[in-house]
Amino acid sequence: MNVLEVRAVTGGYTRKPVIHDLSFSIAPGELVGLIGLNGAGKSTTIKHIIGLMNPKDGEIRLNEVTMKENIDKYRSSFSYIPETPVLYDELTLREHLELTAMSYGLNQETLATRSEVLLKEFRMEKRLNWFPSHFSKGMRQKVMIMCAFLVNPSLYIIDEPFVGLDPLGIQSLLDQMNEKKKTGASVLMSTHILSTAERYCDRILLLHNGRIRAQGTMKDLRDAFNMPLATLDDLYIAMTKEQDHEELT
Amino acid sequence: MKNLHDVWQKRFLHYVTELQKYLKYVFTGHLAIVIVFVLGAGGYQYSEWLKTAPSNFPAIWLVAIIIGFLLTFSVSVTLLREPDQVYLLPLESKLMVFMKKALLWTFWSQLYLVILPFIIAIPLLRQVGDVQPLTLGFAFLFILLMKWWNVQVEFTFGWANGGQGVWGDRIVRLIVNIIVIVALFTIKPVYILLLSLPVIFYYVTWKRQMLGQPFPYEHFVKIEQNRMLRFYRFANYFTDVPHIRGSIHLRPWVSSFYRLVPFHQKNAQEFLVFRTFVRTDDTFYLWLRLTALSSLGAVFIDIPIVVMIFVAALAFASAIQIKQALSSSSEFRMDMLYPLHESARNLAILKVVRIVQFFQALIIFIALLVGGLEHTILYGLPIVVVLVSEVTLKMSK
Repeated sequence: MNVLEVRAVTGGYTRKPVIHDLSFSIAPGELVGLIGLNGAGKSTTIKHIIGLMNPKDGEIRLNEVTMKENIDKYRSSFSYIPETPVLYDELTLREHLELTAMSYGLNQETLATRSEVLLKEFRMEKRLNWFPSHFSKGMRQKVMIMCAFLVNPSLYIIDEPFVGLDPLGIQSLLDQMNEKKKTGASVLMSTHILSTAERYCDRILLLHNGRIRAQGTMKDLRDAFNMPLATLDDLYIAMTKEQDHEELT
Repeated sequence: MKNLHDVWQKRFLHYVTELQKYLKYVFTGHLAIVIVFVLGAGGYQYSEWLKTAPSNFPAIWLVAIIIGFLLTFSVSVTLLREPDQVYLLPLESKLMVFMKKALLWTFWSQLYLVILPFIIAIPLLRQVGDVQPLTLGFAFLFILLMKWWNVQVEFTFGWANGGQGVWGDRIVRLIVNIIVIVALFTIKPVYILLLSLPVIFYYVTWKRQMLGQPFPYEHFVKIEQNRMLRFYRFANYFTDVPHIRGSIHLRPWVSSFYRLVPFHQKNAQEFLVFRTFVRTDDTFYLWLRLTALSSLGAVFIDIPIVVMIFVAALAFASAIQIKQALSSSSEFRMDMLYPLHESARNLAILKVVRIVQFFQALIIFIALLVGGLEHTILYGLPIVVVLVSEVTLKMSK
């Protein structure tokens, strides 16, 4: 049984679709990287999965339900970390954690034990009563990460996680992701940082012009491009060139 | 480069369209109704009070102080923008072409601020202050001249001193304004002409100082930015103005009220909305202002039906504006993804508005008790507040 099932999804902002006939799935315990240039359709894909946009065609199942069938189950199944942190200016760090816990139906004991661990991991214990306006970009990102991990969902959807985080923060995030993977949770992560994706992702989805150009493990991708020793960067550049060439001819 | 005359024309056109765009929402909205009721109630009370006003009431001084204050408020509307500090620099010697138009607009656009109160004060001055019609006409013309003087001095002083010490000048002008207005009604016109000499001298002094000084763009650009920001904040009460972020304060003394919302999934939106209301300066102070105004009205207006209308109009205004402010939804918020019922946010907003309006009723009631109650029917005022708020919430979108 897959955690996420995207079947033949086409969608976009206006009549002209941005993503075309997208199909992929994520199994429990898998870390999948969503890789593509600016404008390739990564964010649009994510917006469809989290339910901010409706597919024009196809369907998306999370823990076997679509959003229409069971909206509460669908929404409880994932947590989302946007590329730009979205915080409430009027809530302190502590209240961000409280609001998240309340919304996902956690009790106060669970909130206390889980947030203690997260606050320590991300070195934010001393800032519990601060407003986001006093946080740096990296700290704001950490608040989003802590709220996401507090919920303990089956799927983490993380958009460009490494931008703005310091090296320790990046390491903490990777550690957290690994730990959650061990318990069977899955991660869908979009990124530009190909070396990290290559190192940590179990599978990679290469998105180009709104279509999945190739997907699989690094070995699958190397075979597909017939480049046995290539890095993800090499494969990526090869893919974009190939595409440009096709467009020219 | 185009001449400064064209620059002003273009700026002005843009400014007017921007004002129109938002004022449309302000006046087609509920504000028009509130203004009608509050003015009606105020006007009625005023006319009733005039009939019995004591003859020793200091009418002239009161009018002088109010109009004096309003005259002093003559902040220059220059429509300058930040890049002007760089791009208009080579044109500094021709800047007065632009500024003459700006000051003319400042004068005309702010004139209503002194004319309306003056017209309202006419019956008071005639009846209580015993002022003759001829004196009133003379005073009217002189107040126009004083407005012109204030606009000129505000601008000239700001330029001459690079924006330093403007409050000192404003205090001086406030005192001069009050003295001149009192003099208009109390001494012979001949002496007023004598009094004008130091007033003119004050302006001429700063005008001389101004020549040869570089134009302090920073000062005037800042004034412009603040003015537009205030306008957008105000418009934000009526419609969604993009990119307006009010300031936030913790207000720890309210924290004990947060216990009203217990820790539970169904209360998540209330948890959020309640804090948003309390900590966003715009919404909180709006409620505080209207509640204070309402309480003052309840205590000082002594005709029951007028009090009822006044308090009801303000309850309507605060209920609808707070609801509007909390409902603005132009931006993405994380709670849009939470596993909460779709209507949870709207229900939470209704509940919070109900709670704060209940407190408004309570505060008015306490004010009545403290202020002493002449008519027992006024004990019904808190019920009026709660009822009007409830109907407002039900009827509004």
